[in-house]
Amino acid sequence: MSNPQPVIPEVVNEFDQPVEGVSLTKDAWRRLKKNRMAMVGMVIIIVYALLALTAPILPIHSFRTQVSEHRDLPPSFTKTAGDLWCQRVENRLYALAAKDGRTQLNEKDLAELETIRQRVATETAVVNGKEIMIHQRRYIAGTDHLGRDLLSRIIYGGQISIAIGLIGTITSVLIGIAVGAIAGYVGGKTDYLIMRFVDVMYGMPYMLLVIIMMAIFGRNIFNLFLALALVSWLVVARVVRGQIISLKNSEFVEAARSMGASQGRIIFRHLVPNTAGIIIVFATLRIPAFIMQESFLAFLGLGVSAPFASWGSLVSDAVERMSTTPWQLFLPALTMTVFLFAMNFLGDGLRDAFDPHSKNQL
Amino acid sequence: MLKPRRPAGLFHLPASFLFRYNTRPMTQYIIRRFLGLFPTLFVIITISFFVIRVAPGGPFDREKALPPQVLENIEAKYNMDKPLVVQYGMYMWDVIRGDLGPSYRYLDRDVNYYIFNSLPVSMFLGVVSLTIAIVLGVGSGIISAVRQNRLADYLSMSFAVVGISVPLFVIGPVLMYFLALQWQLLPTSGWVGGRYGWLPLIMPAVTLAFPYFAYIARLTRASVIEVLRSDYIRTARAKGLKESVIIFKHVLKGAMLPVVSYLGPAFAGIVTGSVVVEQIFRVPGLGRFFVKSAFNRDYTLIMGTVIVFSVILVVMNFIVDIVYALLDPRISYK
Repeated sequence: MSNPQPVIPEVVNEFDQPVEGVSLTKDAWRRLKKNRMAMVGMVIIIVYALLALTAPILPIHSFRTQVSEHRDLPPSFTKTAGDLWCQRVENRLYALAAKDGRTQLNEKDLAELETIRQRVATETAVVNGKEIMIHQRRYIAGTDHLGRDLLSRIIYGGQISIAIGLIGTITSVLIGIAVGAIAGYVGGKTDYLIMRFVDVMYGMPYMLLVIIMMAIFGRNIFNLFLALALVSWLVVARVVRGQIISLKNSEFVEAARSMGASQGRIIFRHLVPNTAGIIIVFATLRIPAFIMQESFLAFLGLGVSAPFASWGSLVSDAVERMSTTPWQLFLPALTMTVFLFAMNFLGDGLRDAFDPHSKNQL
Repeated sequence: MLKPRRPAGLFHLPASFLFRYNTRPMTQYIIRRFLGLFPTLFVIITISFFVIRVAPGGPFDREKALPPQVLENIEAKYNMDKPLVVQYGMYMWDVIRGDLGPSYRYLDRDVNYYIFNSLPVSMFLGVVSLTIAIVLGVGSGIISAVRQNRLADYLSMSFAVVGISVPLFVIGPVLMYFLALQWQLLPTSGWVGGRYGWLPLIMPAVTLAFPYFAYIARLTRASVIEVLRSDYIRTARAKGLKESVIIFKHVLKGAMLPVVSYLGPAFAGIVTGSVVVEQIFRVPGLGRFFVKSAFNRDYTLIMGTVIVFSVILVVMNFIVDIVYALLDPRISYK
């Protein structure tokens, strides 16, 4: 037995042209496309996401192999690591010679230089099961203080930073939707209790609590997600609750209820989708905030631990040595800043797109 | 009977605020909000107390384990042999009397000593930063709004976007690299009163203020633009008032509400931000104890810093709420 398909009459305008319904998201997308900065931001984010996702197959060096001869090499497109290393040794030998009052290198120095040249030309190393000419590598972003490729550390660090931003946001949005929807729909005492709890939590200096939790329960990624997500669902809960209260007496909910839909179905199939716009906007603005918070913790030494890195921990590692190896500070900082810029532009654009006469457009 | 005329003057401004509206609900509102501070503080202190104690590791763990007898004696000295709830009760009683206990790591000093020595530094840094953020933020926000979509607007708003997107632990080192290391204009570390006078204050304060300057600027711009479109401004214009009078007497008062309500979060951000900034610039403030004491499991010092920070934040939020209620006659005192 099958229900007959209801025939939907085609909607036409006064010229008998078919009229397509414009959904909220379609409308928003149309407005978003006009916002040039937001589109640039989106392209940048897509590029970042692709780089982070394809990191294992990109032609970059391993992010954890330490080559002790390659410590603190500056970025260079043209010179190989071996050349830079030779040059550094040569400079050091000349400096030592000058200290002794000589202008030329002596026999011993020349011999040392020659050995290094030999090693550069011949030495191989096994990385990831493959034998390669290790000193013929080029580090276009330089290396860090342990002789690891900075470029691949930045890319893999991006993987972790972006993942933290995404997972943290998803967790906090899910918790927030569930709590806010229940509080808003059920109302009464439940609502009162939940919202008082949210208020108390809201007044807490939570970043301080997160710092303590991370310092005390150890720095692993799981704790990090937990600590960041647990404290950031409050705003979503408030917003979703407000939306749901304003919608729960509308006709379409009345209709669903009269057709015998269960409470859960009304909340999660009819009410929550109507808050999608706000949640999307919130989520895009939340991701950079999460990345910043993670980096903030990483900066205090509470982020992900070695050999993994996040943008924050790369910046943090570099601060101490920035007078001698500034690229270790500037490159991760620049990468991170560009991403945060892009996220913020996209978030602002989305907010204007979903809510064109938004009162708090910043 | 004629009422005695009130002398008009600066000192009467708060009073006139109070008398303009119905006084009683306002007073009640203040009292209720004030009493509400205590449960929040109580919850914060309780949660941090138990979180810290439950965590693995203790303040007397060393690389080399202490002999059991010695450890027992130390724990007896600090009442750590008693049940956790009893310790909690004793600690709370001490806190109520204003004694934050001895430090478990730096054995010769009390927590109060550290707080009295370093809190003024952090407070000073925070207040200077907040002032910079408010003055510059509101100023450039107004300029942007009045000169909307002109050069000044674009300049100050791009500056503000930089402030929002660049984290302060990037701004700090970058400033330090150029101003202190490359151009040698400012000292890299140190504090006011040393041999560099006031110079060491500049970089930490600017770094800390920048993100909040940015946010306040954008907030001010948005709300000034909104108020400029409102009916009462049109009325003011129709009366033929000067543009400067309109901006400073009429627009600003209405436009400041969102900024005032942002001050609470801004202050919270400045307090946590100061933890990082004090680390970058080696400022001898309270922030540097915060992370170190948590790593050391120096229970009383962590608790002390948490309590001090929370009191500051909660009291700031309270003040912001009161100011907000005073400025906005539409608010219902609930």
